[in-house]
Amino acid sequence: MSTLTPRPPDLPPGDEPRPPRRRDRRPPRPVLRMASFTVAVLLLLGVLVARLWFLQVIGGGDYQERAEANRLRTVITEAPRGAITDRNGAPLVTSREVLNLVAEPRQLAGPEGDAALRRLSVALGHPPGYFAAKVKKAAEARPFEAVVLDEDTTPELQAYVEERRAQLPGISLQAAYVRDYPAGATAAHVLGYTGPIPAEKIDDYRNRGYLGNETVGRAGMEAEYEQYLRGIAGREQVEVDARGEVVGRGILSQTPPRPGQTLRLSIDLKVQKALEVALRDEVRGSGTSTGAAGVAIDPKTGAVLALASYPTFDPKVFQSGSARDVRRLLTSPSRPLLDRAIGGEYPAASTFKAITATAALESGLYKPGEIIDAPGSVVLYKTRFKGFNNLDHGKIGISEALEVSSDTFFYEMGDRSYRVRGWPLQDWSRKFGLGRPTGLDTSEGESSGLVPDLAYKRRTCDRKVDPINCSWRPGDSINMSIGQGNVLVTPIQMAVAYAAIANGGTVVTPTLGRAVVDADGRVLRDLISARASRPLGISKDTLQLVRTGLRRAANGNGGTATPVFGALPEQFRVEGKTGTAENPTGVDHAWYVGYAPADDPKILVAVVVERGGQGANSAAPVVCRTIGSYLGFAEDRCGSGAKVN
Amino acid sequence: MATFPGEVQGGSTRERAQSALAGLDWWLLGSAIAVSGFGVYVVRIATEGDIASDPGYFFTRQVAYTLIGLVALFFALRLDLERLSRYVWTLYAILIAAVGIVLVLGSSARGSTRWIELGPLRLQPSELGKVVIAFVLAVIVVERLRTMEPARLSLMVGAIAAVPAAIVFLQPDLGTALVYAAITVAILWVAGQPITHFIVAGAVVVTLVALVLYVLPAAGVNVLQPYQVDRLTAFVDSGADRSETGYQLEQSKVAIGSGGAFGKGPSGATQTINDFLPEHHTDFIFAVVAEMFGFLGAGLLIAIYFVIIWRCLVIMRSAHTQLDRLMAAGLTAMLAFEVFVNIGMNVGIMPITGIPLPFMSYGGSHTLTNLVAVGVLLRIGRRGRELGPRTK
Repeated sequence: MSTLTPRPPDLPPGDEPRPPRRRDRRPPRPVLRMASFTVAVLLLLGVLVARLWFLQVIGGGDYQERAEANRLRTVITEAPRGAITDRNGAPLVTSREVLNLVAEPRQLAGPEGDAALRRLSVALGHPPGYFAAKVKKAAEARPFEAVVLDEDTTPELQAYVEERRAQLPGISLQAAYVRDYPAGATAAHVLGYTGPIPAEKIDDYRNRGYLGNETVGRAGMEAEYEQYLRGIAGREQVEVDARGEVVGRGILSQTPPRPGQTLRLSIDLKVQKALEVALRDEVRGSGTSTGAAGVAIDPKTGAVLALASYPTFDPKVFQSGSARDVRRLLTSPSRPLLDRAIGGEYPAASTFKAITATAALESGLYKPGEIIDAPGSVVLYKTRFKGFNNLDHGKIGISEALEVSSDTFFYEMGDRSYRVRGWPLQDWSRKFGLGRPTGLDTSEGESSGLVPDLAYKRRTCDRKVDPINCSWRPGDSINMSIGQGNVLVTPIQMAVAYAAIANGGTVVTPTLGRAVVDADGRVLRDLISARASRPLGISKDTLQLVRTGLRRAANGNGGTATPVFGALPEQFRVEGKTGTAENPTGVDHAWYVGYAPADDPKILVAVVVERGGQGANSAAPVVCRTIGSYLGFAEDRCGSGAKVN
Repeated sequence: MATFPGEVQGGSTRERAQSALAGLDWWLLGSAIAVSGFGVYVVRIATEGDIASDPGYFFTRQVAYTLIGLVALFFALRLDLERLSRYVWTLYAILIAAVGIVLVLGSSARGSTRWIELGPLRLQPSELGKVVIAFVLAVIVVERLRTMEPARLSLMVGAIAAVPAAIVFLQPDLGTALVYAAITVAILWVAGQPITHFIVAGAVVVTLVALVLYVLPAAGVNVLQPYQVDRLTAFVDSGADRSETGYQLEQSKVAIGSGGAFGKGPSGATQTINDFLPEHHTDFIFAVVAEMFGFLGAGLLIAIYFVIIWRCLVIMRSAHTQLDRLMAAGLTAMLAFEVFVNIGMNVGIMPITGIPLPFMSYGGSHTLTNLVAVGVLLRIGRRGRELGPRTK
C-alpha cells in the first residue's frame, strides 16, 4: 500500500514495509478495535444519561426538598413574656433580656469543638468535661437545636466569649428573656413560677401553637393567665449559604415577635407586703407555729387585695436555682409551696358562729330578743359539752353571744338545729360558699374544705367498729355549731363567707386578676367585672343582728378581740370574729376574720395561724395590721391581744 | 520544512490563516469552542459570589486561559508529528524532569503541589504531559510494532508510561495518573496488542487496588493519603461518609437532583450560589450545569461531548498514518476518560479522583491541554481526509 500513496520524505520507521516473517504473527484488526472503542464510549455516556435521568427526573423532588432545607433557615426570635403588676401598676414580675451562652452541637463535632468546650468549662470554673457532657446529652435528644450552657451570663463572661470568638467555634451568646421579681419573693404563691414545658405536656402545648421549647407559666398567675402573658416568638425565614450566613434575598418571610400582655392583678402591693410581714412576724414570734396564711379582699367585689402563705419561697429558684434547691422546696416538711390561704383546710372554730347565728335566725330556731342562759358548760344527751374555759356568760342574746363567743349559747343553737326537719347548718354553710372551691382564678391548689353531713358520716364511718357513728347524731350538730367537729374551711372560703355579711348579702367570687393591659396601661380585657356573684338570701334583720354581734366582738366590753381593735377610731371601726380551732396534734390554730370600716367595708381580712394559740392573740393582730396598711393607720394602733377566746 | 498537501508555505498572515482553517473538522472544532464558551459562562455565573471584592476573578482568568488555548490550538494545527518524533526521547526526558521538579518542590512544601510557578503563571506540567505521553507512546509503538515481540512491547510501553504516571501519582495527583493509564491502554488497544495483555493488566490493577485500599492498610502500610482513600470509596455510600468528600458528593447529588428536568436557572441554583456545592467551578462544574439547566441542559451537554468524542473517533479511523491514528487514540481516550470519570463522579457513580471536565472546568493548564489536543486531532483529521487512510 505504500506504493499507492505519496510518501512524505520523513516516513517514520513504523511505516516501513513490515518484514515478511512478522506478517502472520500479528493479524491487524484495527477496525474491530476502533469499533469496540466507539461502543465503549457510547455505552459509558449512555450510563451517565441514565444516571442523570434517575437523579433529576425521577428523584428530583426529594433533592429539591433537600436543597431547600440547605438554603432555608428559620430564625426564631424570642418574645418577652408579659409583666405582672399590682392593682396600681407596681411591677411584681417583669421580663429582662439576657444573653445566654449557647452551643451548636453540629459545629462542635470533632477535636476543635472538644477543645473549645474544655476551655470554656475551665474558664467558668467547671470540671473540664462539664460542657462536653452537657452538649452530648442535649444533642442526642435534639441534634439541631442550640444547647444552653449558661443562662443570664455576666458581662465578664460575655467579654471572655467575644474576645475569643475564633477559638470558640460553635459557641455564641444568644438573647433570651428571664423573669425578674422587682418585689422579691412578695406574693410568690400568687404569682407562681415559670419553667420549661414538662415533657408529658409537650403535645398539648404544640396543639396550642407552641414550639415546645418555650418557658411557660407552671403555677399561680403565670399559669392561669398564660394565654395573655405568653409572648409569641417571631419567625424569620432566611436564605443562608454553606457557612450559615444570611445571603441573597435575605429575609424571605417574617412574623415579628409579639410580646406578651401585661397582667394587672387586684393585689395591692402595700397590703400584700403588710400581710406577709405580719404573718411572718406572728409565726416566728409564736415559737410554736408551723405556718400561717391570710387573704384580704374587697368585700364588695371579691377583688383579692392580698393573699399570702407562710412559709413562702423564692420563685427565682425555679428559673435559675439548682436542682437541689428545687428539690428542697418540693420535699421540705414545712411545705413552703403549699398555698395555705387557698389550699390549707382548718377547722373553722368560732368564726363559724356567724354562720350558725345566721342559720338559727333565718330558720327560726332563734327569735330576735330571746335570752338564753349561757353557763360554763351544758349537759345535753347525757353528755357534758364544755364552753371555752368554762366561762359563765349568764343570760344573753345572740349578738352578745357572738361578742363573748359563748360556746354554750351556740350548743343550744346546734341542738335546736338537730331537732328541726332539714339541715339548716349545712344549708347555710353551703350558701356562704363553704364545702367547695370559691372559684378563685388560680389554675389549681384550691381546696374544697368540708361541710359535714349525713352522707359524709356514712362515707367515713366504720360500720364494724362503730356502726352508730354512721348516722347524724345530736353531738354532730352541737359540735358543728361552734365550727368544730368535722367542719373544715380555707382562709379564702372564710373571707368570701364574711364578705357576704360585710357587703349586705352577696356571695362574691374572689378574683386575683384585674385586667389585661397594653404597654400604655390601656385595659384590653376586664377580668373582674364579669365574675359571678349570687345573693346569700339573708334578711336585713338577721344581718343587723349578726353584724352587731361582730361589732361588739371587736369593740364591746366583753368582745374577744376588743383588746386588739377596741382603740381604733370610728372611721377604722372593725367588725369581726375570733376563732381558736382545737388541734388534736398540738397547740390550737388561731383564726380571725374581720372587715373595716364597719359602716362601709372596704377591706376584709381572714387569717389563720397554725398552732398560733388563741385567735385574738395571734390572728387578730395580723388582721389589724393588714387593715391598717390599706385604710392607712399605723400598726401601733392595734392592740396586742387578749386572754379570752 | 516539510510540506504537505493543504499546507502552504509563506504567503500573507491572512492566507496562512485561511489555509490553516481549510479542511478542518468543523463538528469537532465547533463543539469544542461551543463547550469552552459555555464553560466560561458557567464559570462566570457560578463564581460571581465567591470572591466578594472581585466577582469576575475566575471569569476573567478563564477567558484568558481559553484565548491562550485557542491560540495554542492553531499552533497545534501546524504541528508536524513525524518531524517531532525524532525528538521523542528528549520530549520524554523533559516530561519526566518537569513532573519530577513539581514532585520535589511539592515534597518541600506541605501537601499537594501540582504547579511550577513561572512568574505570575502557574503551570501544571502533568496536564500538558498527557499530550506528551500520548505522543511518546504512539511513536514508540509505531517504531516497534512490526519488530518487537508483542508482550515485550506492551511491557516496554507500560514501563515508559509508568514512570511519569508514578511521579504524578506521588505529587499526589491520582486523577491525572489515571488519565495517563487510560491513554496507554487506548494506544495499545488500537495498536492491536493481544487481548490477553489487557486481561492480565486488568487483573494486576484489580489486585493492586485491593492491596492498596484494603490489604496493605490493614497491615499498617498506607500507600495512599487518607483523603485519597476517602475519595475513592465515598461514592460507594456517600451518606455514611461524614468526611469532606462524602459531603461534596452528597451536595453534588443534591445540586444535580434538585435541578430537575428543566433546571432552576442561574439565579435559582442555590446549591451553587450559596456555596453548598464545593469546587463548583472546577471538579463539580457539571453539577452546576445540571442544577441550573436541569436534565435538559445537562443532557444536551453530554450530547455535545458525544459529538466531540464521535468526531475524534472518526478522525482516528481515517488517520493517514499509524502514528496519527495512535496519537488520535491516546487523545480521544484522554478526553473520553475525563468526561466520563468527571461526570461520573458528579453524579455519584465514580470515585472522586480530581479529574476536571474538559473544556468546562476552570484551570489554565488543563484548558490549554485540551485545546492543544483538539488542535492535534484536527490536524490528524485534515491529513486523513485529504490523503486518505494509509493504514487499515
